[in-house]
Formats: sequence, C-alpha cells, structure tokens
Amino acid sequence: MPDAALDEIFRQIAAIWPVSHALCNSFLKTVKKGLTCLHHSQLADWVKTILAAYESGGLHQTRQLLERVEETFLCAIRGETGISLAEVTGRLQPYATGLAGHPLELIPGQEVYTDTEAVYLPPRIAIFPKQTDNFLFYKLIISFQWAFTAIGTFSLHLPEGSPAIPAATRRQRTVPPPACICLNDYFNLFAKPAVAAHLFHLGETARATTFLRERLPGLMRESAPIFQALARTIPQSAGGSTGDLQRTILLRAAQDAGETPSAPHPVTSLFDGLFRENATSQDSACFATKAYARFLDQAGEPAPPIIFQGVLRPAEVLAVQRKKRAAAKEQFIEALAAVINAQPPQDAPGEKEKNEAQGTGFPELEGQTAAVIPPEGAEKDAPDTKPPGEKTLEFITIDDSHIDLPDKLKKMAREIVEDLGQIPSQYISSAKQAAGKGLAQGNAPPPREGEPLAGANLFIFDEWDYRRAGFRKNWCSLAVKKIIPVTGTFVGNTLERYRGHLTRLKRQFEMMRNQERFVRRQKDGNEIDLDALIETLADIKAGLSPSEDLYIRLARDKRNISALFLVDMSSSTEGWVNTALKEALILMCEALEVLGDTYGIYGFSGMRRTRSELFRIKDLAEPYNDEVKGRIAAIGPQEYTRMGPPIRHLTRLLAESEARIKLLITLSDGKPEDYDDYKGEYAIEDTRHALIEAKAQGVHPFCITIDKQAHAYLPHMYGEVNYICIDEVGKLPNRIPEIYRGLTS
Amino acid sequence: MKKIATATQIIAERPFYLEQAEELHIAKTAYHNGLPILLKGPTGCGKTRFMQRLAWELTRPLITVSCHDDLSTSDLIGRFLIKGGEAVWMDGPLTKAVRTGAICYLDEIVEARKDTTVVIHPLADDRRELPIEKLGETLTAPLEFMLAISYNPGYQSVLKDLKQSTRQRFVSFEFNYPPPELEARIVLEESGIEQPLAEKLVQMATMTRSLKDSGLQEGASTRLLIHAGKLIKSGIQPRTACKATITETLTDDHEMLAALEEITSSLF
Ligand SMILES: Nc1ncnc2c1ncn2[C@@H]1O[C@H](COP(=O)(O)OP(=O)(O)OP(=O)(O)O)[C@@H](O)[C@H]1O
Ligand SMILES: [Mg+2]
Repeated sequence: MPDAALDEIFRQIAAIWPVSHALCNSFLKTVKKGLTCLHHSQLADWVKTILAAYESGGLHQTRQLLERVEETFLCAIRGETGISLAEVTGRLQPYATGLAGHPLELIPGQEVYTDTEAVYLPPRIAIFPKQTDNFLFYKLIISFQWAFTAIGTFSLHLPEGSPAIPAATRRQRTVPPPACICLNDYFNLFAKPAVAAHLFHLGETARATTFLRERLPGLMRESAPIFQALARTIPQSAGGSTGDLQRTILLRAAQDAGETPSAPHPVTSLFDGLFRENATSQDSACFATKAYARFLDQAGEPAPPIIFQGVLRPAEVLAVQRKKRAAAKEQFIEALAAVINAQPPQDAPGEKEKNEAQGTGFPELEGQTAAVIPPEGAEKDAPDTKPPGEKTLEFITIDDSHIDLPDKLKKMAREIVEDLGQIPSQYISSAKQAAGKGLAQGNAPPPREGEPLAGANLFIFDEWDYRRAGFRKNWCSLAVKKIIPVTGTFVGNTLERYRGHLTRLKRQFEMMRNQERFVRRQKDGNEIDLDALIETLADIKAGLSPSEDLYIRLARDKRNISALFLVDMSSSTEGWVNTALKEALILMCEALEVLGDTYGIYGFSGMRRTRSELFRIKDLAEPYNDEVKGRIAAIGPQEYTRMGPPIRHLTRLLAESEARIKLLITLSDGKPEDYDDYKGEYAIEDTRHALIEAKAQGVHPFCITIDKQAHAYLPHMYGEVNYICIDEVGKLPNRIPEIYRGLTS
Repeated sequence: MKKIATATQIIAERPFYLEQAEELHIAKTAYHNGLPILLKGPTGCGKTRFMQRLAWELTRPLITVSCHDDLSTSDLIGRFLIKGGEAVWMDGPLTKAVRTGAICYLDEIVEARKDTTVVIHPLADDRRELPIEKLGETLTAPLEFMLAISYNPGYQSVLKDLKQSTRQRFVSFEFNYPPPELEARIVLEESGIEQPLAEKLVQMATMTRSLKDSGLQEGASTRLLIHAGKLIKSGIQPRTACKATITETLTDDHEMLAALEEITSSLF
C-alpha cells in the first residue's frame, strides 16, 4: 500500500474514532478491500457517506456501504444505472447450480466466458433502460454459457478424415495427423485461428439456441424482446457478413419469422442446418471450415460476438479438466494406497511379482502388478453399446490377491474411466509405491487405544481414514497439558461488563435446577389419567385385576448431567474470537455454578499427528475457583485444529462418568485442519467419525461453530441436528448459555 | 378416547407402481420367507404406493398405522372397552393384522416411543409371536401375515433413532427418487398431463434436488410433481402451479424463493 494511501487512512481514522470505536473497527477491516476499487483520494468522500449513514441508522446501516463499495458508493458517484452482478448473485447462483447440477460459480470478469466450473460475467449490466431486462439478460448469459458445456461445445473431437478438417491441411501434412483433433487443435489448423473460432462459435450458438428453446422455453420466450433489440443493433451490411448470421440467430431465438436473407447461399443453408435438433459440434466445425474461405475474403474483422455468446476459451476449459484430472488422480492414488495398506501384510511382497493382469477390457495393463477389473457378468441389462471401460469396477488384483474396493474408490475409478477411457496403469503403480512408503513411515507405535503412554499424560488414538473406511491404528498421540493461570483483570472485567445479563442468566438457570414433566399412569398425582381410568374400568368389567396407576403426576427429576466443553485454541481464534470464547466460558461457569451440573473445560490445539495437545482448564471434579478463572483467562491461540483426538479423549472421560446425560460441547471457528495431511475431506470425515463414536458411547455431542457462513460440510460433519452456527462473535457470550439451556431442558 | 390413524384397505384394483429395481420381487421373496421389511427414504418417493402394490400382488389386506409419540402399546395391540355395561375386547390394528393374516405397515416408526417399538420385536424375528398380556394369550402369526415399517433417515434427531436391535430384524429397502424417464412416466400417469410437461416438471425437480445442501433442506419429491401436474391439468398456468405446489412448499427463505422462481420461469 502506498504511503499516501496509508496517510489518508490514518486521517480518516481520526475522523471515525471519536464517532464510534466499533465503526472504526469495521472500517479498518474493510478499507483494504475498499481501496481495490477506490482511489485513496476518494476515501474522504467515502468516509463522509459512511458517517452520514451511521448517524442516521447506526452500525447496521453502514454495513452495505462498507462491504459493497462498488454498487453502493462508486456507481452512485459515477451516476451509473443498471444492475450489478453482486446484486443478482444471491438469486442467480442457485439458478446456475440448479442448471448445471453442480456448483457453477458466477464470477465478475472482463470478458464473458465459461471454463465449465464457473461463468465469468460483466460486473454490471446497464444495457436496457428497464432493470428487469438487465436482470433477465444476466440470466440469459448464464443460460447460454451453461448451454455450451451442455451441448458439448468443448468436447469437440474430429476423427481422422473428418470433412471438417480443412483440405489444405489434410494434404500438406508431413507428420501423420493425430488420431483425433480437439477444439484447440482445430482452430490452429487455420491460418487465422480467430476467424475459425468465431465461425465455429456462431455455429455452436445456433445449436445452443435450439437447445435452450427446447430446455428453457420460458426463458427464451421472455427474452424475445431482448433478442429483437439486439438484432436491431447489428448493422445491415453487404450479404454474407457474420453480422447476418448473428441476426439469424437472434431472430430464430426470438421465434421471429422476420425477413429471410434474399439470396440463399450454400453456406447460409449449411448454417441453417445447425438449428436442427440433431446437429452436432462436428456439424458446426464443418460449417466453420466451409465458411472460412468466404469470410476471410471479406475485408476487416468479424463482427464482435453477441454479448451472451461471450468468447470460447478452450485453453481454460482444458486447464479445468487437467486440474480435475490431476485431483482425481491424486485422490485415487491416495485412496488406493490406503486400501492396499489396510490389507494384511504378505510374506514377501514384490518378490514373486507375478505380473498378471486378468484384464477384461484393460489390455494396457499387461505386465503391471495390479489391475482394476470389472466383475464378470455384472451389468446384466446394460446395453451393449457401452464401451468396455464403463463397466463397474469392483476389485483390484495385486500380486495375485483380490482386494475389494470400497464404494468411494469404485466411484472414483468409474469417473476416471469415463474421462480417460481407462485407468492408466501408472495410477496403480504409483498407488503401490505410495502404499509402500506409508508403511515405512508408520513407526511402530505403542499398544492400546487411549492408554496413557510413557508419562501419564500422553495418550494414543486411532484415526478414521474414510478412503479405506477403516482406522489408521495408533495414529495420533495427544498430550494433556496444564495451563498456567494468569492473574489480571480479564475475569473481573467480564463479570462487570455482563453484570445485568448475568443476573438474568443466573435466575434462568436457577429455574432449571429441577426438571419438571408430566408422567402418565402413576400411583398418585395431581390429576386423573383419563385414558388409564377408562381402560381400567373396562378391565374390571372383563374380570381383570384393576390397575392402580391412574394418575398423572408432575415429576421433578433431579438433574443428572455431566458436560464437557472443548474449546478451540487454534491460531485462527486469535483476537476477537478468543476473547469472546473466554467471556462465554466465564458466563457459562457462573451460570452452571447456580445450576449444579457437573462440568469441565478443556482447550485443544494440534501440530501434526504426533503432537495434539489438550489443555486442562477444569476437570469434572474440580471446583470453580480463582485458579480455574485464571486458567480461562490464560486461554490463548496455539496452532492447528485436529479435532479427532481431543473428541475421542473427552468421550472417554465422559463415558467413565456416571451421569445420566453426558454432553460434549465443542466450540470452534471453522474447518478442522492440521499442518500435515489432516485437511479437507479427510479431516471432516475423521471429526465426523469421532462424533459418531461418542454417540455410540452414550455421549451427546453438540458443536458450536463460529463462522459467518454456515458451510455445506457442517451438516455432514456434525450430523444435521447436532450443531449450530453462530455468525457473529459478539453474540457468543450470550448465546452459549442459551444453547446449553436449550440442550438440557 | 384417543384416536389413532389407521386404515385397513382391501386393494381390489392393481395400484399403479413403476419398479425402480427389483424391489417388488425381493419384497415378495421376503414375504414368502416370513421376513419383515423396512422401507427407508425421503418423503413422497413411493413407499406407501409400493406397500399398496405389494399388498395387491400378495392379495392381502393392508393395515397402515401412522406412528406418533403418544402411540401406546394398547393402541397397537388392543384394549377392553365398555359397551352396554359389558367389557368388550377390541383388537388393535397390529393384533387384527396378525389374526387375519394381513400386512401391517407401521409408517414413520421412529415417531413412536421406544417402549412401544419393542412390542414388535418378537413378531419381527423368527418367533413371529404377539403376546397379548391382558388376554393372557400369545398369538402366532400365520404365514400370510407380514410386518412392514418405514422411516425417513433425513429427519432424525438423537432422540429418535431406530435402535439397532430393531433394524436388524428387517429386510431393508432404500427408496429414492426414480430416474428421470421413470419419474416422468409416473407424473404423466398420475396427473394426466402430457409427456413434455411431465418432463419439464421432472427437470424442475432435478434442479431443486441439486440445491439440496446449498440452501434447500430437501429437493422436490415425486409427490409434489404430481400435485403440480394435477393443478396444471385442471387449467392452472404451469408457473403458478409450480409456485404453489413446489417453490412455496420447499422453502420460506426469500432469496431461495426468488431463485426457484427463476428456475420455473425459465422452464415454463
Ligand atoms: N415408483 C412409483 N410408481 C408409481 N407411483 C409413484 C412411484 N413413486 C412415487 N409415486 C407417486 O408418488 C406419490 C407419493 O408417494 P408415496 O405416498 O408412496 O410416498 P411415501 O414415500 O410414502 O412418502 P411419505 O414418506 O411422505 O409417506 C404417490 O401417490 C404416487 O403417485
Ligand atoms: Mg407414506
């Protein structure tokens, strides 16, 4: 950041600070982002607007201004109209995802295009006077960009000898041509690839138009005026320019019979054929090849694309494909290695390399040590048109022994075969290698699960590996450590700050001391159980001995609850989150003292599988005293978040307690993640499994996550009903006792 | 007196049911081996319809009980009632099914309290017995009797899980939304709309289902599509019908509602 900008920021701080400290905080958080689209000389004006908004409507009112500088401030000063992508994303993102069947991100960009995983769109559309039309136009662009992927524009494959391959290249070739030509290669067959691309793209847009009219008739109908308006903007030119083709597309899209070009040219009729439902991308290529010479003759550049066409970026599509492929490869190898590792060890692997590939459909695997094999006779009613690779893969053979693949791996294998037509043999040999390494790394760890190791404070745990659907035995160690209490003002300040709230809390918790509920069919009670009475009268008539359990009683059960709080002490909690967590813990303790439930508090942090740490702040039996208060105050951010081992350890502690209800409440601020490979799906699956284990042992886990977004993985990791996501740190101290109350009453 | 929701059906006409895999065959085989069945799957995907078809194929009456948390053992097994000064025993639906050799279908079994659920245990294993304490007798189920239960794994809370000791007595079937062509045929048959419209409705459902977990709790069920189809068949505009039967039933979230309307307005 340039000094001038920094100076300006400091000047503005001086203006905001006296008005509101909180506002100043928010300003500092967003100013960096703001400066990406503001020049620092505009900062003063921006701040003026913000302060005005604050004074009229408070902190809440300023949020939009702070976060969305572009639409809320810049556009206003530029006097722009139209609609911004940011405004429509909430509405159109689910639309795009629904269309594609997988997340299709909407990203602002200079040019309109898609790489099949995202659509790049203009940050603002202000083409039409009516906002609804501008919105519809966004929707239209998204739909067309999706359509290109859906109709297979990017998967063009021209077989050898295809009429779409220009004759000149066919003859001139000195090296034998590749077996088949894909999109990028195709454009490069021409002297001016851009012209070929332009023509091909027009052809594909014709196909996309027909496709969308069939798939999304409502959209196309509503967009008819837009198509017509766009058609009017294309200048009339001498017959045969690409502008005419664009007009044809637009008029067809608008279902406007309109004027047909006067003298039908062979190229034009070829183009018209692309609107047929059964036209393919090869047909578009044929058209482009035929039309190429004709349009090349014409002077000048081809007309710019219609906006919703955008541009084709085959290289970016390829990059996405490669990325996906590489990720799939890595995952497959890792997962397969894990499966191999999970096999009982063989006496001398590698020695009797009986290299047999019993490959039905995998001749390329001859001579490999392993093969993925489709089961014989499976797929009884699959049509025979499927290539052999599409059979399901059920198991692999390595050195003569069959290994059944878990479902997840089968699915991966299937996707790879769909993409590449086979599982490259290198994937399997790499997996074997990786498996070998893994074994060498696993230095023989000590004996039993959860037993103290060496010192009394080190514990060993298994870790769940979803890829092999089994445990990595004795994989992590957890050290239980003390935390040195600090003396200071933190606890006193917190109690002072929340004084009013605390009084209320204590009263609420006092009322929970006894649980009340109605129990039916009791010997005595304050009300008659009519159902039971009627039934008994009938029983008497029938000659049975009458029941005496005829009352409904208000039962007061003594609470019999043990709760453990597990607090995230990873480095990401630094700052606000850490403070809020500690405040929440203090309030929680004060309230629990009134209630009388048994409770304990532990903090956790991790650094690789050998150094998970659990900090004891208060164990179940320990009284809440100054020492404990000092430890809470001393909670500070440490390293990473490996959630499995601490959850497993606390589960064990709870399982040993005799309470009727055992609660494990975790407080964290996001995804579990450690320095090593404890990340992503692996970490989520291990955490999830640790929670499942807890349940199996009669512990009710409940997870509180502090995050702005309720991420999609949360319900999976925690189980739909076992978590809550708090989006604002400030709410934490109030919310946590509330949640506890809800959970236990 | 408490009312419990039960229905006894003698199914005379062949219910329309399109098989997704071999579920009918397997269920019939289970029946002939005296094994009870467990159906699980999201709401509105054909579980009830499947039971009706099965009952018809096996020519047995179908007794359906919708379970709820106040369902007591007497509600299932029976109780004495006083009629004209006399105590008269009334069989509960389960007892009735055992006596008459019917199919007893306990819908949403997890809603029932655990102590109620255990009465089906001796009936669901190889004993096939139903003890009736108050009569001091134990019924042995005839070969014709079948027990079926259902639940939706999506809405489980910790308190309402099906115990392993219960689940492990059953032959289980997982139900899911049918593949598109099949589902379109179902919608077409059930609502009487034309093929292209049925396909559009299925397309709509597919789009909402891919939004599950990114904003929607559940995608649209086959049942909702049939509802939409019926409204359309009776002359309501497709967009309006979809809004009333699909969009508004799936969510209350305004942004999501708007997004779903974008989907409908594109499709129709
Ligand atoms: N395979 C199918 N064949 C014929 N109709 C079907 C099929 N699947 C679903 N349906 C239709 O869907 C409607 C809803 O199905 P049904 O009532 O059986 O759902 P359900 O699984 O019992 O749902 P719930 O769990 O909510 O009770 C049925 O009325 C039927 O019209
Ligand atoms: Mg049903």
